[in-house]
Amino acid sequence: MTENVESFRQLSPSEFFYRNKEIAGFSSPSRALYQTVREFVENSLDATEVHGILPNVVISISREDSSNPNYFTVSVEDNGIGIPSNIIPDAFGRILYSSKYKFRQTRGMYGLGAKMAILYGQITTGKPFEIYSSTSRSNKIFYYKLSVDIRKNEPIVFEEGAWEKKTSWHGTIAKVTIEGDWNKRTRDYISVYVKRTAIIAPYADITLIMPKFNGEQEGNGEEESEIVCYKRVTDKLPVPPKETKPHPLGIDLEMLKMSISESKNKTIKDFLMKNFQRIGEKKAEEILKIAGIDFDRNPKNLNDKEIEALYKSIKSVDFISPSPDPLSPIGEELIKIGLKQVLNPEFVDAITRKPKSYGGHPFIVEAGIAYGGKLSENLDEIARDSIKGQSGPFIALLRYANKIPLLYDEKADLIWSVVNPDDFNWKNTYKLDPSDIVVVLVHIASTKVPYKGVGKESIAQVEEIRKEVEAAVQELARRLRKYIVKKRKREEAEEKFRIFLKYIPEVAQNLAVFYDGVSPEERKKIAQELESTLKAIAEKKVKIIEEVKEE
Amino acid sequence: MEGLQDKIDQKARELSIKAVKKAFEKLIEQVRKGEEPKLIIKKRTLANTIYDRQRKLLLLGEQKLTRKFFDENEARRFMQTVLMARIIYEALVNNEYPTIRDIYYRGKHTLPHVSPKDKFKNTWEEQQESDAVLRDVEVLTGKLREEMLILSKEKGKVVGDMRLRSGNDVIDLSKMGHGAYAIESTPDLIEFLDVNAEYVLVVEKDAVFQQLHRFGYWKANKAILVTSAGQPDRATRRFVRRLNEELKLPVYILADSDPYGFYIYSVFKIGSITLSYESERLATPKARFLGVTMSDVFGDDVPLNEVYLSPEEIKSGDTKKLREEKKERFLKALKTFGYKEKLTKKPFMTEEERKNFIIRAKEQDLERAVELVGDKVYKEFTNEQLKSSRGGKKTIKKSPGYPWFQDPKWIKEIGIFFLTHSKLEIEAMASKGLKFLAQEYLPRKIETNDWLD
Repeated sequence: MTENVESFRQLSPSEFFYRNKEIAGFSSPSRALYQTVREFVENSLDATEVHGILPNVVISISREDSSNPNYFTVSVEDNGIGIPSNIIPDAFGRILYSSKYKFRQTRGMYGLGAKMAILYGQITTGKPFEIYSSTSRSNKIFYYKLSVDIRKNEPIVFEEGAWEKKTSWHGTIAKVTIEGDWNKRTRDYISVYVKRTAIIAPYADITLIMPKFNGEQEGNGEEESEIVCYKRVTDKLPVPPKETKPHPLGIDLEMLKMSISESKNKTIKDFLMKNFQRIGEKKAEEILKIAGIDFDRNPKNLNDKEIEALYKSIKSVDFISPSPDPLSPIGEELIKIGLKQVLNPEFVDAITRKPKSYGGHPFIVEAGIAYGGKLSENLDEIARDSIKGQSGPFIALLRYANKIPLLYDEKADLIWSVVNPDDFNWKNTYKLDPSDIVVVLVHIASTKVPYKGVGKESIAQVEEIRKEVEAAVQELARRLRKYIVKKRKREEAEEKFRIFLKYIPEVAQNLAVFYDGVSPEERKKIAQELESTLKAIAEKKVKIIEEVKEE
Repeated sequence: MEGLQDKIDQKARELSIKAVKKAFEKLIEQVRKGEEPKLIIKKRTLANTIYDRQRKLLLLGEQKLTRKFFDENEARRFMQTVLMARIIYEALVNNEYPTIRDIYYRGKHTLPHVSPKDKFKNTWEEQQESDAVLRDVEVLTGKLREEMLILSKEKGKVVGDMRLRSGNDVIDLSKMGHGAYAIESTPDLIEFLDVNAEYVLVVEKDAVFQQLHRFGYWKANKAILVTSAGQPDRATRRFVRRLNEELKLPVYILADSDPYGFYIYSVFKIGSITLSYESERLATPKARFLGVTMSDVFGDDVPLNEVYLSPEEIKSGDTKKLREEKKERFLKALKTFGYKEKLTKKPFMTEEERKNFIIRAKEQDLERAVELVGDKVYKEFTNEQLKSSRGGKKTIKKSPGYPWFQDPKWIKEIGIFFLTHSKLEIEAMASKGLKFLAQEYLPRKIETNDWLD
């Protein structure tokens, strides 16, 4: 698929990415470490949950070279489908060789990330990349040690090997050594990334092992590790995405030209009907009429002018919205389980909106909300930092795009612009106290997430998406309000009852004094009677208060 | 002990026991029927305090409040009211004479702490709280604490040519030596036997009372001499009222020449807001303010050089002109408020003496003066507009003023105060010479009817 394209490039893709590593998020040693973890973890999750496997992921970051304390070995192990041994070298050693060019929602877009990590390791430490992998059908575990030939964009294999499998293990272990910087910020970002991943993947077992951060660089001997475990709490997996044909509105002119050149259809009408969703016979004819192209023209014979006319015509007609089949939302239930498990709040709720689309790309907005309980102790460092700059009520926002946590550029994000307390009236409309902290989770799933810039860390303002985010958060805020109002009413009634109970014995005993000519024992009895009558009235009264308020 | 207690106390006791029982037995009935217990009490608030112009009294109005136990905002006060009633009732039944301090301690004990929001540890925290509840019980039962045989610290003293019965003893107030008879906490239980006097002189200051007593003032002038030793307590007020009402003796009040002295006179005469429910029995509407008045000090015509100027005004240059303007304003304001007499009164003091005895008025004196006459009068005299709340810097608070100080004569007195920013204590009159005070100032004022009503 890529060979013909490659031949007219001046610069090999590997070289191009090598020169532009910032684009892929490898802008500094600290950020590179975070980015490496991210890329491998996302690959691992895509290799498991999408294929119906409950993920077990172990991430380990360690210093293995005592003479180079700033060399970090990152290894990520999963129990995924594994990679067939014959394609391992290409899968990791050749840029733009990927399983991710299909039209469905995945975590990564082009499988570039992991290769960038390999390249980065090569540049900074010169150490090759190691990989162990086995598919479920294979009875061997394969091992490769390789690097990328940057000029030629092909793998250089240093070592390879295979073992007989003694267990039914399948999956991949990827190991790369890069130059990094282990400071509090690096540690925070990596652990927050894993924590937020665990929130939306309660069906996964995730373990993170990393150097214990004690404020200073240690370069000698055994160093202590910090281990964080997120245990699986449910066996329910999200519905995996289905591959679908592209929606006509979601393609650009280049893609149209490419698919025409690769098409095997005899007629252009057939081509349109077979290669796109939402184009039936009538629609195809309508498009071709507008473009002034005969129905039975061979697509391969269309000249550039005609293809442009066809493209214009496609963009001018109406289609049914794109199919949501390629999308894989997390689902309300899993969001609730995840928020509950990781944050331990007293109230949690979630909502998955109906699929919508923008510019031919289907998308689904999901949101979760958590409040009270032990939530504030369980907030992650990034949320804490964000809250520091707010005046209350405090919003701890968890952003996700295609199940990837977004940790940078919060304030520039479309989602923040919806939920931020200056615009969203948490206090008056939704009855939060200024001291309250609310966790808001928003997930945007789409075949094309509209990122701002190349960093892929914040979502751009797209009106259709904004509306959905707003509707989702408003609905959850309403549910939370209902809960809070009820809780406050209950607390008020309880408080009243407590006050009455505090004074009832006192009142009863004092009133009993006004009985003349009774023995002290009798008076005691009278006081007790008065007390229990008063208690009964108090109970009735508080009940009535509660009932009236419930209505 | 029983036999030693007198009949009068016994009678009072029986009546009070009945009254307390009647007021609180209702609550037991309500609870027994499963109803929410509630008390109906006359409101003791400024809004429910009425000035009866006819009788010249501050009275409690007819507004009532219902104090429910089952209202979380009133439960505590309800409990306190019942607790207070019980303490009083038990003390009455057990033949005791508790003081208000005793009652505070008898009722104060710790209650369970029910929630973080609950800020109350005890049945009541401060004596102010129990005192207020005691006033509630007085209003509820229609019995004054004196009738319920509750004592308080005595301050008032009396001497003069009269005999009275207190308890089982006859006391001759003309044979008290250098001391005086301390007016008991329960003045209604005193029986007047005989009296040989023409008027009552109430002296605010204890020291001046002693001087006049030793000087033989009451003998020489056929007066009953009373002191309240500052702000009068209930017993002294009730005692003075009885002297006026039952013995038909005119009552003259001698206090400092400052707004606070004027206020003490008004408590004797009209009553106070906290105790308006008792004015009917405590106030002496016919009481007269004998002195010291501002016009006694300055005369009606305040010398120009004694008109007060603030430091800023003095700096600003033409002091003579400023003083003239202020005096003009003073005269104009008197006309505005209907003062028609000629301004001919001569002062009792020379300018030299004034220099020695006068004290400069403070902010709080001015504020109290405004409280008495109101900010409208203040504005007329000083051309200064007051705000209802204190702003950034300390300023005098606005006040509507009391109706009984709206008399042109009072307005003139307080006008002189605004004009001179001066006050004078009675002791200064005594310093001028006891002889002057006892043989000249006081008799002359009384003879020439030189007093304010």
